[in-house]
Amino acid sequence: MYRNVILLIATVLLATSCRFFDSNRNLSREDFDIPEGLLDEKPLEVASEVIDDMIQNVSSPVEMAAIIKGLKIPFNRDYIANTKDMNNLNTSFQKAVGLGIYGADLGYINMYERTSLVINHITTIKSLADGIQVGQFFDFNSLSRIATNRENIDSLLLISQQSFNRIDSYLRETNRAHLSVVIIAGVWIEGLYIASRVAEDAKHPRIDETIGEQKVIMSSLMLLLNNYKGDPNVSKLISDFEEIQALYKDVRITYEYGDPIPVEKDGVLTFKQNDTQTIIMSDETLNNIIKKVQSVRNKLLIG
Amino acid sequence: MKNIFLFSLFSIILSGWTVTTYAQSEDDLIEICGMIAQDATFLKDFTIRLDAGDPPPIQRFSVILKKGIKYRFSVCNSNDYEGRVILQLFDNNRLLATTYVVASGKDYPSIDYDCSKTGAYHLFFNFKEGKPGLAVGLLSLVETM
Repeated sequence: MYRNVILLIATVLLATSCRFFDSNRNLSREDFDIPEGLLDEKPLEVASEVIDDMIQNVSSPVEMAAIIKGLKIPFNRDYIANTKDMNNLNTSFQKAVGLGIYGADLGYINMYERTSLVINHITTIKSLADGIQVGQFFDFNSLSRIATNRENIDSLLLISQQSFNRIDSYLRETNRAHLSVVIIAGVWIEGLYIASRVAEDAKHPRIDETIGEQKVIMSSLMLLLNNYKGDPNVSKLISDFEEIQALYKDVRITYEYGDPIPVEKDGVLTFKQNDTQTIIMSDETLNNIIKKVQSVRNKLLIG
Repeated sequence: MKNIFLFSLFSIILSGWTVTTYAQSEDDLIEICGMIAQDATFLKDFTIRLDAGDPPPIQRFSVILKKGIKYRFSVCNSNDYEGRVILQLFDNNRLLATTYVVASGKDYPSIDYDCSKTGAYHLFFNFKEGKPGLAVGLLSLVETM
């Protein structure tokens, strides 16, 4: 008797529980008692300290330009964006991307001391910066004066870098960090675009390696961008960048580690890193990356 | 006697007006640090502001360094605080470079780093003996190798 009762209860419980998990029934939020505070559609937020940390992780355009110049590869005006393309950039998102692209170009121009091109570029940058209300942090007057008078080129680099650092800080302080991340994405794609053009023309293994290395930097950048994927423009940018990232899956990077060696000479202490990195990438993969980077970058300038 | 007192008082007030000390701002420190870095190209600055503590509190930043570049790390302390800053460069858990060499007890206002691996590195700043301090660190590019 007891056995039958227990079996009956167990059957009823099983039936009701199975109904709850019935896959044909669409469960909605209304089926659950969820506190209001949890119903916001906000994207998952990463702590600002983590964002700061990640932003620092995306390198400056000056280093890429320095590597290219260090290889004695001459300056090429065709590698940089035409300032007329600025007219295609109308929304805040487009202006932020443009700010990054023209900012990276400015690093390249400054590194080669092409002061005649500086004025045109800083005028474009100032206009784009004004468009997203950060023009006050771009020291246009000092940069114009230095470029016009061909003053110390180091000052040009210093003020350009500091202006961009201040814009970045201000955007994050005013809860527009997504624009800051978009600027960084613009700087990154333009640096890689210039490297891709150089790789086509100069065919230098160090430039190929520099393109391959970007796999490391791209993973940090994608993490940053994904934090703002709720924004439709950022989401579109992520889709474009994911096409590049997919090609980077075929790039393999291996490391061998060694202890750094400190050397003191003339009172200057230098630590020589003893690690070795090896980039394994086929020519086909490199060419695919080059083509995709150029197509994504050109698309961004169309607006 | 009264005249001497008045004269002394006047002198003290006058010297109080003229001998004015100014606190060093972060921009001042960046400028000084830039001079320490000499002709290297400025890339980034880091402001370090820490309270006293035991163990000494640490402020951490991350940077991407690129293979084939000689970097210069320069540090500059504010005279308004006791703390003397120490910079340490790490790659994951390995100490790769420092401005304070424990073995010799020597402090360096700037150090150079020949980078052979592109990737994320971590800068740890703390003040000697956990004293409170304000300092600026500068990352600059010396040359490509």
